[in-house]
Amino acid sequence: MSAPLVLSDTVNLAAALVIGLFFGFFLERGGMGNPHKLTGVFYRTDFAVPKMMFTAILVAATGLCLLSDLNVLDMSRVYIIPTFFWPQMVGGILFGLGYLVSGYCPGTAVAGLASGRLDALVTTVGIGSGTLLFSALYPRLEGFYKTSDMGTSTLPELLHMNHWALNSIVYVLAGIMFYVMERNEHRRQHPVVAKKILHAAS
Amino acid sequence: MNRRGFWSPYLAGAGLGLTLLASFVIAGQGLGASRAFAVAAGTAMNVVAPVYTATLTYLSKYIERSPFQDWTFLELTGVLIGAFAGVLMSRSFKVQIDRGSAMSVGTRVMTAFGGGIILGFASRLARGCTSGVALTGGAQFALSGWVFVIAMFASGFLFAALFRRLWS
Repeated sequence: MSAPLVLSDTVNLAAALVIGLFFGFFLERGGMGNPHKLTGVFYRTDFAVPKMMFTAILVAATGLCLLSDLNVLDMSRVYIIPTFFWPQMVGGILFGLGYLVSGYCPGTAVAGLASGRLDALVTTVGIGSGTLLFSALYPRLEGFYKTSDMGTSTLPELLHMNHWALNSIVYVLAGIMFYVMERNEHRRQHPVVAKKILHAAS
Repeated sequence: MNRRGFWSPYLAGAGLGLTLLASFVIAGQGLGASRAFAVAAGTAMNVVAPVYTATLTYLSKYIERSPFQDWTFLELTGVLIGAFAGVLMSRSFKVQIDRGSAMSVGTRVMTAFGGGIILGFASRLARGCTSGVALTGGAQFALSGWVFVIAMFASGFLFAALFRRLWS
């Protein structure tokens, strides 16, 4: 077991900056600084967000399964995102609304800002304000915030399933999803081209 | 190649997935974003109104150190620079107020700000955002990530049906 690496604070913070560079670069190159592309999924015109997101999840999840099985990565030392079922369900619902209305999420707002979008700048100020609003209301929200604590529950544990079995299921589901999205996008974005091709063939 | 000159989302997604995996291996944690906003807003608030900020117990964990000692704040600083590098590479930098074709500038400023407030609030409630919970938790097969991502997409589809003219 050698990873996660044991780094000094300074090196770890420098690594954060470098990891962020790649994160931002890939977000921007995938079109994730553009609010039309970001919201296209909800209007079923552009599925770049779920395609990019689930590709990233599959690549990283496969890597985690592989590296932990090879004893390269000690998962007990990796910070697992804790589950608070109801706050995360309600948080996710509110987040979907905020994402649709603003056209961004916190990371992509920064990518939008980098491309010169002033609306993204306004959204970053809004996100900071929303954070302060939550902090101000926290005494009243604390009860709900701490309900349904399920710790570091993972799906393989809850479903009593090998992580490779689950990984395979996610691959199949994502494959079906990508196929449906490609068909849907092609029909909506190129109705004229599709007609022309049909016409030329006949 | 996309018509707007972006990469294929599968290629960009694979790069993002490898970045996330590298983060687990190097730092023992995944990616994040909304935490950096809590650090930045909390620090700013602490400068403007230190007495009031001291009463906000929830914020204390975000302002106990300098932002430049905070992993996620530095990572998000990297996101800004990395995204800017991508913009320079494609020569697509353009100062603009991006909005749906039927929307005025004034309305756009309000939706950008109001939507942002909801995002900031929701991220604190859910203990993270698309980066920290959906992407990172999703890749860990953590229940949190999958609950959040399903709730987020379901809600987005529902509200898009109600607000059809927001972006189209």
